[in-house]
Amino acid sequence: MMAPTVLEDEAFAALRAQLLGAAADLAPDAKHLADLLAGLSDDVARVLQEPLQIFPVAHHSPACAVQLVRRLQRTAPKVIFIEACEDLQALLPELASCVPPVAMQAFAGESPAFPPRWLPLSLVMPMTPFSAEYQAICYGLANPDVELVFVDRSSDHVFQWLPQQEATPTAPGGPSDDDENARLHGGALGVELGSLVPTFPVFLESLLEHSRASTFSEWWSVYVDEPTIGADYNTWRQVMVLVGALIRRLGSRAELVESDRLRERFMWTRMKDHLVAKGIQPKDAMYICGAAHAASDVPEWGTTKLGQPDDPRWNIPARTVTPWQYGFIPSSYSAIERQFGLARGSISVAEQSWEKALKALNLKAMPLPKAAKAAKGEVVEGAETEAPKPKTKTKKAAAPLPEEIASVGGASGVLSRPPSLQAEDHEQLLQWCTGVVAKARENHYMASTADAIAIYQTSLLLARMRGRLHPSPFDFADAAETCLDKGDPTMRRSVRHLCGMIMGGDRVGKVGYTTLPPLVRDVYDRLATVGVIPGKSTVTRALMDLRKEGPRLLPVSDLLWRLRALLPSSDAVRPVMGERRLGVPRVQESWDIKLHGPALRDLIELAYEGVTIEQVLERRLRDKAFAPNATAATVLGLAEDALLYAERDRLSEELGERAVELLRLELSAANARELFERVRRLVHHLRARPEGLPHWLGDFVATGYQHYASLLPQSFADRGTSPEQLAGMLAFVFSLESLALSLGCQRSQVIIAVRQAAPLTTDPGKLGLLWAAEWTLELKRGDEVRAEFNALMDNPMSLSALPGALGSLLLALSFTPLVSALAAELLSRAFMELPESLLLPWLPGLLDSLRPVAGTILPALMREVVQSTPRSLRELDAWTPPWEAPRPAAATATAPKSTKKADERSPEERATNALLRAAPASVEAWAAALGLAPGWAAPPAEGGEEAQSDDAEAPIGDDPNTAAIQSLLTAYPVPVSAWAARLGS
Amino acid sequence: MSDTSTSEVLRLPAETRYAEELAFLAAFDAGPRPSSWRLTPRMVRTFVLGSTPQDKMPRDIPQKWFGPASIVERAIVTLASDRGLLLIGDPGTGKSWLAELLSAAVCSNSTYVVQGTAGTTEDQIKYSWNVAMVIAAGQSKDSMIPSPIMTAMQRGEMGRFEELTRCTSDVQDALISILSEKYISIPELRDDNTVFARPGFNLIATANSRDRGVNDLSSALKRRFNFVQIPIVQSRAAEKKIVLFRVKDLLARAGFEIDVPPSLLDVLLRTFEDLRQASAASNTDDGRLESSLSTAEQIGVLEDAVLHSRFFGDAVVRPELVAASVVGTLVRRIPEDVSVMNRFWHSVVDKHASKEKGDWVGFLEGGKEALKQLG
Repeated sequence: MMAPTVLEDEAFAALRAQLLGAAADLAPDAKHLADLLAGLSDDVARVLQEPLQIFPVAHHSPACAVQLVRRLQRTAPKVIFIEACEDLQALLPELASCVPPVAMQAFAGESPAFPPRWLPLSLVMPMTPFSAEYQAICYGLANPDVELVFVDRSSDHVFQWLPQQEATPTAPGGPSDDDENARLHGGALGVELGSLVPTFPVFLESLLEHSRASTFSEWWSVYVDEPTIGADYNTWRQVMVLVGALIRRLGSRAELVESDRLRERFMWTRMKDHLVAKGIQPKDAMYICGAAHAASDVPEWGTTKLGQPDDPRWNIPARTVTPWQYGFIPSSYSAIERQFGLARGSISVAEQSWEKALKALNLKAMPLPKAAKAAKGEVVEGAETEAPKPKTKTKKAAAPLPEEIASVGGASGVLSRPPSLQAEDHEQLLQWCTGVVAKARENHYMASTADAIAIYQTSLLLARMRGRLHPSPFDFADAAETCLDKGDPTMRRSVRHLCGMIMGGDRVGKVGYTTLPPLVRDVYDRLATVGVIPGKSTVTRALMDLRKEGPRLLPVSDLLWRLRALLPSSDAVRPVMGERRLGVPRVQESWDIKLHGPALRDLIELAYEGVTIEQVLERRLRDKAFAPNATAATVLGLAEDALLYAERDRLSEELGERAVELLRLELSAANARELFERVRRLVHHLRARPEGLPHWLGDFVATGYQHYASLLPQSFADRGTSPEQLAGMLAFVFSLESLALSLGCQRSQVIIAVRQAAPLTTDPGKLGLLWAAEWTLELKRGDEVRAEFNALMDNPMSLSALPGALGSLLLALSFTPLVSALAAELLSRAFMELPESLLLPWLPGLLDSLRPVAGTILPALMREVVQSTPRSLRELDAWTPPWEAPRPAAATATAPKSTKKADERSPEERATNALLRAAPASVEAWAAALGLAPGWAAPPAEGGEEAQSDDAEAPIGDDPNTAAIQSLLTAYPVPVSAWAARLGS
Repeated sequence: MSDTSTSEVLRLPAETRYAEELAFLAAFDAGPRPSSWRLTPRMVRTFVLGSTPQDKMPRDIPQKWFGPASIVERAIVTLASDRGLLLIGDPGTGKSWLAELLSAAVCSNSTYVVQGTAGTTEDQIKYSWNVAMVIAAGQSKDSMIPSPIMTAMQRGEMGRFEELTRCTSDVQDALISILSEKYISIPELRDDNTVFARPGFNLIATANSRDRGVNDLSSALKRRFNFVQIPIVQSRAAEKKIVLFRVKDLLARAGFEIDVPPSLLDVLLRTFEDLRQASAASNTDDGRLESSLSTAEQIGVLEDAVLHSRFFGDAVVRPELVAASVVGTLVRRIPEDVSVMNRFWHSVVDKHASKEKGDWVGFLEGGKEALKQLG
C-alpha cells in the first residue's frame, strides 16, 4: 500500500495548520516565537519529504524500538545507517555472544595527539535491547543482505573535537556512585545514539515546570514514549521530528548545537559516499539518528542532489595516529543512567514499557543470530542468547493493533486521547502496588494490604492532579514513597529502590567468552584450576596450599599476584591470606576472585595493552621506568617488581641499569632513605642466590656510594636537605660500605667529604649526624662527641640547639650502633635537665621525625636503655646511671689513642714515670710552677711490671696534669736521659 | 474567626490573608472535589505553588511555598485519602507554613492547631472541662471544652498538630483512634457521648527531624500517617526566592519596603552555603555552629539587617550591616561559635573579598568588626 505523501497526510496537515496558525497569531508581537513555530513545521515537512528514510530516535526509547521492529517487518531497506562511531562497527559480529546491556568500547592507553592528562582514552557506547539501534543491529546481523553502516564520527574525532583545555573528558559521578554496577563504565566518556536531553537549563526548567514532571526522563516517558508507543508510523515520526527540532532549536546550548552540526556533516557525507559507492537509491536506505539530528540545517543534509557535481560533501578531518583498541565491556542500567545523567530507574521503566508493548502489540523482538559455539562449551555466556525473548505466547490471539485508533488526529492528537495500552497499564499498576508491598515486607518495612490499597489510590490521585490519564511509573513511585516511607533511617533500601526492583531493577550485561579479548580468556583458562568460571557473577574464594600442591597451584598464585600488581585498586583479585615478598617462601594463600562487573571491565581494559598478563606487566614496568618523570627510587622499585612478579632477570637487569643511569643524574638526596631500603633488601636477597649479586646491583651500590659521598658536604650545608634525608644518605654510605669498598670504592672519599662538611654544618639538626659520621670514620672519639653535647647542654646560650642535635644523633642510629649508648645517655639527661619550655615543644617534632625510621633505630636504643636501667624495683634505690658512675680504669685504658701512646713509651720514659710517682712532692711543686692544679693520681697498684704499666697508663689519657708533665718531659729529653743514667737504667 | 479587625492583627492566618485568592480559585474550578473541600486538589496545588500559563487562568496566583512540587502533590493527595499527613524536616524548612497553606486551601481555616510540647496532655488533643460549669451544672456538652482537633472533626475541616514528636508517646497515641475510627468518645456523658468526624476532616502534623528518637511514634500511629519529608533547599535560586518572599512579607508588617541589592543577597546566600559546607565538613560539635543554618535563619538575618538600616541607619541595606547581622544571629555559644565564625570569616569570606571584591569587602569588614565586639 502506498503511503500518503507528506502534504496529503491529513494528520500532518492539521498539525502544520495549527503551528502555522499560532505563528501567524504571534507574528506581530513575538516574531521569534512565530518563526520558531513555523520553523518546527518546516522541519517536520522537510524530514518527511526526504527520500532517504530518516528514522528519528531517542536513547533507550522503547517506543522507537517498537516502531523500528514494526517498520522493518513491513519494509526491508538495503542499507541501514546508524548514528554510531564508525570505528566501532568492526565489533558488531561479536555482539552475538553478549547479553545486553553491554557497551562497545574504544580504548587508547597512549596517544601523542592528546593531552597526557586525558590518558587513557576510553569511550563507551552502551546498548540496551529496547533501543532502536540494538533492534536494527540484530536485524542487520540476521539478514546478511541488509548492510549495517555506522556513520558517526570516530572515537578519535570525539576526542579531537573536545576542548583541549578540558581537564579530563570523563563522565561526572551521579547519585548512584555508591553502587558498584553504576561504576561499570569507569571513567569512560559516553556516547549514545539519539541523545535528546535538553542542555539549556532554562528550557529544561520550564519544560518540567509546565509538564509537572520532576525529571526529563519522566517527561519523556510520560509525554512522548508512552503516548507514541502504539501510534502509527507517520504520527510517531512527526512527533519525534517535532520534539527533536524543538530541543535542537530551543533546548540546546549553542556550542553543543555547533558540535552536532559537525557530526551531521560527517554523517551525511559518509552516507552519501556509501550510497554513491554502492549504487544504492536513497529510498532503499534507512538512517537511524537522534531526533535532534533529523532536521539538520547543514548543507550536506538531504539526498536530492545525490550524484550531482554540486552535491555538497564535507572534507572529513583525518584521525590522529592514536592506536585505538576495541572491545565489549559489560554495562548496566544504573551505569547508563549515571553516564548520561538519566533519572535513576528510568531505564527499568523503559524496559517495562518495552515488554508491555511487545505483549500488547503481539510483536517479537528482532532475534540475534546464534553465536558460533565457543571452545569452552558450557562456559560460553550469552552464546545462545537471542535478543531478550518477549513473554508473548504465540498461541495467544493477537491484540488488535491500535494503529487505526492512534492515527486519528496524528501528532496533534497524541496527547489528547487515552494511552493506547490502557488496559495493560492498569494491570501493570495493580501488579506494582501489590509487588512493592511484598517487597517492602521482605525488607522489614511495616507494610500491609492496606498500604497496597493506599498506594493504588494515591497513584490515581497523583496522576489526576498532574493531569495524566493514567499513573506513570513515576507517579507510582511517589505514591509508594508517600504511603510506605515512615522516615526510618535504619532501612537498608529506600522505597524508591524497592520500586526500581519491582520494575525489573538494575540489570548487568555479560560479555560472552568468545567475545572476550585473548588476555581475559587466558586469565579465565589459567584460573579454571581454582574454579573460576566465565560468566559467574559471584566471588570465588581460592584456598591454595602451595606446600602440598605447589606444582599445580604455583602458576595460579603467580598469575594472581601479577593481576594484583597490575590492578591494585580493583576488586578483581584480592588476597585474603598470603604475601609476596622477596625471599619469603609462599606456603598458603587465600584469594577472593571476582571477574565480573567493574572488575571484568578493568581486566578487559588491561587486555587492550597485550595478549597476556606477563606481556602487559613487562610493558607497564618498562613504560614506567622510561617515563620522563621516573626517578632512581621508582625505577629501583620497578626492578624489584620485575624480580617479584615477572621473575625475569633480563627485565630486572634492564630496569636496574636504568636506575643506575637515573641515580647518576640525580642532584638531590630526596629519595635517599627509600633507595637505601630498597637496595639493602635487594642486596640481601640477591646475594643469597647461587648466581650471586647481579652486576647492575653492584653497579648501583658503587654509584650510590660515590654519589652520596660527593653530595655530603653540600647536603650538610644546604638547608633544603632535611636531617632525615641526610640520615638516609649516610645510611646508604655506611651500611653498604663493605660492599662498595669491595667493588673498588674508596673510603677516603667519604672521609674527605665529612671533613669538608664539618665547618659547613651550622644546622643544629644535622650536628648529631655529623659527629656520628666523624665518630664512625674515627675522626672523633666518643668522648669528644660527648664533650660536644656537654658543651651544648652546659651553655644556656646553646641549649636551644640541643634538641636538634640530639634528634639527629638518634637518626644516626640507623647507620651506626656506636652512638646507641651515648644516645641513651643524652636522651635521659635531656629529659632530666632540659627546661620544660624547651622539652615539651621538642617532643612532638621528635616523635614525628623518628616515626619513619622507628623500626631501625628503636630496637638499638631500647636495647641500650634496657641494659643501663635496673631490672627490678629493688635495684632502683642503689642504681646510678652508667654515665654518672666512676668509669673503670680498663675502659679508658682501651682508648685507642692512649694505648698507642703507652705502647710508644720507651723504657726510659717508664722509669721516669715510676720515679716521679715515687716522689710526688717534687711533681706537685713542678705542677705549681707550671700553673697547674695539684691532683696527682693514685699510687701505683701492687703487682708486676705489666700491672704497673697498665696502672701507669691510666692517668695519661684523662689527667691533664700528667699529660702536661708528659709533654714537658718529652720536649726536654736531655734531663730525662741524665736522670735515667743516674738511676742506672 | 474572632471579629478582631484584620488591620489590628499582627499576623493574619493564610485563609484571611489570601481570602480573595481562595474565593477566586474556588469559583474558577468547579470540578469534583473530595468531600467538603473548598477547592479541587489541582487548585490547592495552584494556591500553594502558584499558577503557570498552562493553567490558563485569568489572573496570576503567586507562589507561596517554595520547594519540590511533588512534595506538595503528595501532601494534597494524602489529605484526600484516609490517612493523616506528617510533614518531617529540619527546622526552618517551611513545614508549618505548608501545613497552614494546605489547611487554608482545603477548608479555609488553618487555626485548629495543637502545639505539641513536652507538657501537652491528652485533654488538649481531645477535650477538657470548664470546671466552674461542671460544679454548677454537672458534666454536659455545654461544660465541655473541645480541643481544636475535636472542633475540626465536628466541622469536617483540617486539624493541625505542630511538633508532634515533642509530645510523649502516650499523648501521641490519643491520635490513633481519631485517625482510625474518626470519632472521640466522651465517657463522662451518658447520652450523645460520641463526637464523629464529618467528611473532610483530616490531620496535618509536623515533626522536626532533629527530634528523631526523642519521642518516636508508635507503629500503630505511624501506620495512620503518610510521611512526607521536606528537604532542605539545595538550589540557590530557589532559596533566593524564598528569602525575598518571606522578608518582603515580614517587612510588610512593619509597613515599609526596602530593596535588597541582588548582589548583597547573593553574598548572604553564598555565605550560608559555605557555612553549611564547613559545618558538614567538621567532625566535632565545637567545630560547627549550633544554628541549623536553615533558610529561616537567612530570613531572620536579612530582616534584622533591614530593620536596623531602617530605624538606625539611612534606609539602605549595606553589606556591613548584613555581616553584623549574620554574626549576631549565628553566634549563640561564646566562645565556641565565635571561634568558628572567626575562622570562617578569615578564611572563606576573606578569600571571596580578595577575589570578587564588590559587596564582599564591606561584608568582610562588617563581620570582623562584629566579631571584635563579641570578643
